Amino acid sequence: MKMLIKQFKQTGLLLCLLFAIHSGFSQSGSDLRINEVLVDNDSNYVDDFGQRSSWIEIFNTAYNNVNIGGMYLTNDPKNPTKYLIPKGDPMTIIPQRNYLVFFADNRTTRGILHLNFDLEHSDYLALYDVNGKTMIDEIRFMRQNPDISFGRLNDGSDEFGMLNKTTPKASNYTGTVVTAGEEFVKMDPYGLGMAVIAMSVVFMALILLYLVFKNTRRLYTIDLKKLFTKEKMLKDINETQDISGEVNAAISMALYLYRNELHDHEETVLTIKKVARTYSPWSSKIYGLRNPHR
Amino acid sequence: MEYSGSYLTFIADHLNQFFSYTSFANFTVGHFIMICIGLAFIYLAIAKEYEPLLLVPIGFGILVGNIAFTPGFQIGIYESGSVLNYLYFGVMQGIYPPLIFLGIGAMTDFSALISNPKLMLVGAAAQLGIFGAYAIALFLGFSPSEAGSIGIIGGADGPTAIFLASKLAPDLLGAIAISAYSYMALVPVIQPPVMRLLTTSKERLIRMKPPRAVSKTEKVMFPIIGLLLTAFIVPSGLPLLGMLFFGNLLKESTVTKRLADTAKGPLIDIVTILIGLTVGASTQATTFLTAKSVGIFVLGAASFIIATFGGVMFVKILNLFLKEGNKMNPLIGNAGVSAVPDSARVSQIVGLQYDKTNHLLMHAMGPNVAGVIGSAVAAGILLGFLA
Repeated sequence: MKMLIKQFKQTGLLLCLLFAIHSGFSQSGSDLRINEVLVDNDSNYVDDFGQRSSWIEIFNTAYNNVNIGGMYLTNDPKNPTKYLIPKGDPMTIIPQRNYLVFFADNRTTRGILHLNFDLEHSDYLALYDVNGKTMIDEIRFMRQNPDISFGRLNDGSDEFGMLNKTTPKASNYTGTVVTAGEEFVKMDPYGLGMAVIAMSVVFMALILLYLVFKNTRRLYTIDLKKLFTKEKMLKDINETQDISGEVNAAISMALYLYRNELHDHEETVLTIKKVARTYSPWSSKIYGLRNPHR
Repeated sequence: MEYSGSYLTFIADHLNQFFSYTSFANFTVGHFIMICIGLAFIYLAIAKEYEPLLLVPIGFGILVGNIAFTPGFQIGIYESGSVLNYLYFGVMQGIYPPLIFLGIGAMTDFSALISNPKLMLVGAAAQLGIFGAYAIALFLGFSPSEAGSIGIIGGADGPTAIFLASKLAPDLLGAIAISAYSYMALVPVIQPPVMRLLTTSKERLIRMKPPRAVSKTEKVMFPIIGLLLTAFIVPSGLPLLGMLFFGNLLKESTVTKRLADTAKGPLIDIVTILIGLTVGASTQATTFLTAKSVGIFVLGAASFIIATFGGVMFVKILNLFLKEGNKMNPLIGNAGVSAVPDSARVSQIVGLQYDKTNHLLMHAMGPNVAGVIGSAVAAGILLGFLA
C-alpha cells in the first residue's frame, strides 16, 4: 500500500513537472503577435533580393526568446497549416521584444522567410502553433493604399489601425517615448506624492507582517486536543510557554558554565589505557625504511 | 619597414613610446584625488575598523581603477572584454546584490523582530530617508531615475543601492555605491548627534521589556510568510526579497546547514570581494569626478540624517500610544536604517552612555533587520514607479 502511495506521489510530481514545462513552452509561443502588415509595397521595404513584396511583421511580446520554427502562417481560415515555418534555422528565433519579417511573395525558393502565398486577394492572416490547431493570433485587414501599412498602434497592443509610418523590424509607435519616471515627475514634480505613496506601501508591507506575526503565535500554539479539555490546563500551558529571553539567556549561561566546569574537572582525571598493537607488515619495523642495514 | 634613424634614436623613440603607455604619462589631478580617497578608505578600514570588510576591497578597488592607462588594451573596467569588465558585469546586471542578500538572510536572526513585531514599523519609518533624498534630488535637477537611485542611499543598504542604481541610473552606479558604503561606515559618526538632538534625557533612559523566547516554528514561518506578503505587494523587489528570505529559511530550517554555511560564508565572502573591488574600480577619475558625484555625496549624507530622523521620531510618536511599561526607547529608532549591525550597535553605545545597565542592542536588532526588508521593498517601489 505504502509503495502504491509512493508511486502515486512520484507520478503526480512528474505529471505536474511535465505540465509546468509544457505550459511554459506554450506560453512562449502564445506571446507572438502579427504586428504589422503591408500589402501594397510600392516603394517600401526590399528583401535580400532587392525585390518589393507584401510583408508581415511578427512581434515577440515576451521577455525571452521565442522560436517560431514549426509554427504555421496562413491567409486561408480553412487551411491553418498553409505555410510551415521551417524548424532548426537560427533565423526563426525571435529575441525578446523583437521582430521577424516574412515576405508574402509566393516564392519559397528565396528562403524560409518567403511564404508560399501572397496577400493580393487576401484580407486575413493567422499564426498557428506547432500542432497546427491552436491559433496564436489572427488579423483581418482592409484594402490598403500603397506603402501604408496596417497593424497594431503599439507593439503587441489590441488596437489596430493604419500606421502613419511603415516600421518593419521596428516599433510601431513612432511618437516620443516618455518613461514612467518622466511621467511620474510631470504629475508629482516635488516628489511628495512618491514619498507618501511609497512610504504607505512600505508601511503596508511591514504592517501586514506585524499583524501576521502578532497573531501567528496564537494560531500555531493552539492544541486542538487540549481545546476540549479543562480550561485550567490551557492556562498552565500558556504560562509555561511565555518565558522571556532573559530567562533563556540565564539558563543557557548556567548550562554553559556547568559544562565548562565539568570539562575542567575532566582534565584532572588521569586514565591509563592499555595500548595493544596488532602485528601488520605495513607497520613492522623489520620492513621499515629507517631500519639500519647490517 | 626598416628603421631609418640611428640605433640610439630607435631606443629613445621606443622608450618614449613606452613612457606614453605608463601611468605617469596619463596621470591627472583627478586620478590623484581618487587615489587619496582610496587610501583614506583603506586607512579608515584598517586603523579605525570602519566596515573593514567593505572599505578594504572598495578602497583598494579605487586604487586599481585609478591607475591611469592608455585606452585600447582591454585593461580598464569600462573597456569591453577586459577582465575587470567581466567582473563588473555582475554589478551592472544586478547579479551580486541578490547573492549578498542570500548571505545576509543566512546570517540574520529575525528573533528580535518576531518577538516584538512592533519593531517592524520602526524599520518602515526609517525609509523616510530614501524618499526625502528623492525629493531633494528632484529639486536639485536630477532626473527621476537618478533621484530614485540617489534616494536609495538613505536605505543604508549597499547591495540594494547597487541593485537599484544598476537598473535606473547605471551611469551613477559608482558614485552611489561609494556614497552608500561610505556613509554606512560612518554611521557611528552621523547618527549619534541626530539621536541626541531628537530625544530628551528621560526618553533615553526608557527600559524596554525583554524580548520573549521565539520558537523554531515561528522562525521557520517568518521567511515564508515574509516573502509571500512583501513580494506579493512589491514583486519588483523579488530578487532581493526572495534571496533574503531564502537565505533565512536555509538557516532556520536547520536541515540545510551546509547550504546556509556556504551562503553566509564562502559565497558572501566571494561576492563581497568582487562587488567591493569592482565598485571601487568603477570610480575611474575620468568618469567619476563630476559635479553630479559631489551632489550624490551631499544627498547621501542628507538621506542618512533624514532616515535617522524618521526612525527616532516614529518611536517617539508611537510611544504616545503605548502604555507605560510597553514604551520603546527612541534611541533604537536610528537602527531602522538597514546598516546591519552598525546602526543597532550605535543604539547600544548611545544608550549605555546614559544608563550603563540599559542594553538596547537586542531591541535595536529588530528595526535593524526590518530596515533590510523595508529598504528592499522601497527599492521595489522605486523600480516599479520609475523604470
